[in-house]
Amino acid sequence: MIDTIDALLEILSAPFVQRAILGAFLVAIVASTSGTFLVFRGLSFMTSGVAHAALGGAALGLFLQHSGILPWFDPILGALLFSVLVALITGYAGEKGIAEKMEVAVGVSFALSMSIAVLLMYYIPPTQVPQIWGYLIGDILLLNDLDLLLLAETAAILLFLTVLFNKEFVYVSVDMDGATAHGLNTRAYHYLMLITSALAIAFATKAVGAILVYAIMVAPAAASNELIHSVRGVLFSVFVIALLSEMLGLLASFTIQASPSAIAGIIAALSYVIALQIRHFRDRTTDTEIPDSHEIEDLFTIMENGGSEGVHHH
Amino acid sequence: MSEFSLIEAHDLAVRYPDGELALYNVNFRISGPTFMAIIGPNGSGKSTLLKTALGMLKPVRGTMRVLGYDTVTEKKYIRREIRYVPQRDRIQLTVPMKVKDIVLMGRLLKKRPPRFASSKDKDLARQALRKVNMDELWNRPFMELSGGQRQRVLVARALASEGSILMLDEPLAGTDAESQSLIVEVLGEYHRENEVSVVMVTHDLNPIHTFVRNVLLLKNTLIGVGTPCDMMDLELLVKVYGPSAKVVEYAGHRYCVTHDVGVDRHD
Ligand SMILES: Nc1ncnc2c1ncn2[C@@H]1O[C@H](COP(=O)(O)OP(=O)(O)OP(=O)(O)O)[C@@H](O)[C@H]1O
Ligand SMILES: [Mg+2]
Repeated sequence: MIDTIDALLEILSAPFVQRAILGAFLVAIVASTSGTFLVFRGLSFMTSGVAHAALGGAALGLFLQHSGILPWFDPILGALLFSVLVALITGYAGEKGIAEKMEVAVGVSFALSMSIAVLLMYYIPPTQVPQIWGYLIGDILLLNDLDLLLLAETAAILLFLTVLFNKEFVYVSVDMDGATAHGLNTRAYHYLMLITSALAIAFATKAVGAILVYAIMVAPAAASNELIHSVRGVLFSVFVIALLSEMLGLLASFTIQASPSAIAGIIAALSYVIALQIRHFRDRTTDTEIPDSHEIEDLFTIMENGGSEGVHHH
Repeated sequence: MSEFSLIEAHDLAVRYPDGELALYNVNFRISGPTFMAIIGPNGSGKSTLLKTALGMLKPVRGTMRVLGYDTVTEKKYIRREIRYVPQRDRIQLTVPMKVKDIVLMGRLLKKRPPRFASSKDKDLARQALRKVNMDELWNRPFMELSGGQRQRVLVARALASEGSILMLDEPLAGTDAESQSLIVEVLGEYHRENEVSVVMVTHDLNPIHTFVRNVLLLKNTLIGVGTPCDMMDLELLVKVYGPSAKVVEYAGHRYCVTHDVGVDRHD
């Protein structure tokens, strides 16, 4: 027992582990503030769309750098540019508030940016190609200071926007037309939400890798949305589930040889499956206030007597 | 009670981007405060007319004014005065909203961010729910209500809000007779006591004809405008609903039988 605690303390004192824990915390904030609203909006697919668009953008950046067309063009700029582009296309398709149209737009921009990435790979020196894939398979154990700084800024901005505008984001998702008619500038909030989410996904993907981002952005929000009936509760629960999955993932990676992202992804996905089970179980046990047989008899007598008073329709 | 121009349209035409001419040649002027109904079969442009009045659709020809404000250039003044209930299925059920959250939405949308609900907001929300007999469901998830209950909650949202015009798109769709008369009576009473105007889209004039003062009968253009009795005219109804339309008189009231199922079409 003492030994394991000692071992744990030793692990915890390693700087890369501390960075990983801080990174996990920041990603949990991103999941709670951005993933939740995407799931509310019916846009859970956007996470993978944006992450792949970032890949295409990174490929474009590398291509521009190495072909000498724009030597200053950093791949991360390409990644951000493409992410915002996906957000704009998706936003434009969904200006009237119809989620299905947005999903189609995400799918199309996803395909487009992957095609661009694969096309450009032929023109990029083979030694650089792994850097493109690096955008998808970042590693929470390999975070550098710049990654952490960008992630911290992203998390801070998202937190600020959520505190300030969570009602607006919710109203745009619930009833776009009604909110517009009551005077809300729905279009502005619609784009604000999509663009900040896209940037957050791109930064988070760069930092911790796409696998972890997919798992953490969608599954905890979907799980919480099954069980919790208030927006604030869901925001909080997403943060807790995301952080817990990541911590267990990290812990597992120290004890058994495993990728922390993969373990975290599996745990997050399991949380959704469990939530569905709980929901199912709850639905069966509640709402079963079956009237006693004599109550039903009373009902029949009332009906036979032709009196409609007392029988209320719900 | 001084009369003013509530809604007017001049040579109005509205076209959707895919080319469908949803409304054309519409001319009318209704004075307020009033309780008015917009009727017509599916696809006749009722929702389109409301959305144009709210500045959400731009006319391709002509103009429309609400409270004297142009719906294109002065829509922000119009929206200050509006409480709108969209067709029920436009409400997304993916967000964990409780009944109280939906009703408070009507009040908080008229505030500035961060839109905190004061105790006055909550009181008014509760009162509105009480009017439609839904106050016991204050803490229930909106998603778990039946269609008719949701409709009542949405009406409560409009009652709790602020603004001199209530616009409701088919608040009676999918409700039983009891809910219908409750909603109609509540709206009628609210109109009388508060000098607000009520504009509602409906398929069926019968449940509301004793409350309504002005009726617009649409079939992509204006077929008729007048009192409910004027509209319960066989010739007019046949023109809109086809030869199976009838007008029957029963216990001193006229009823129209349009065979209009009231099933909504949505894109
Ligand atoms: N978003 C849209 N895009 C294209 N055409 C539309 C759109 N919405 C409505 N239309 C068309 O415009 C016409 C009028 O539609 P509108 O929704 O105003 O009818 P409505 O009278 O409200 O019908 P309902 O009783 O079914 O609600 C219809 O022919 C419809 O097909
Ligand atoms: Mg309609």
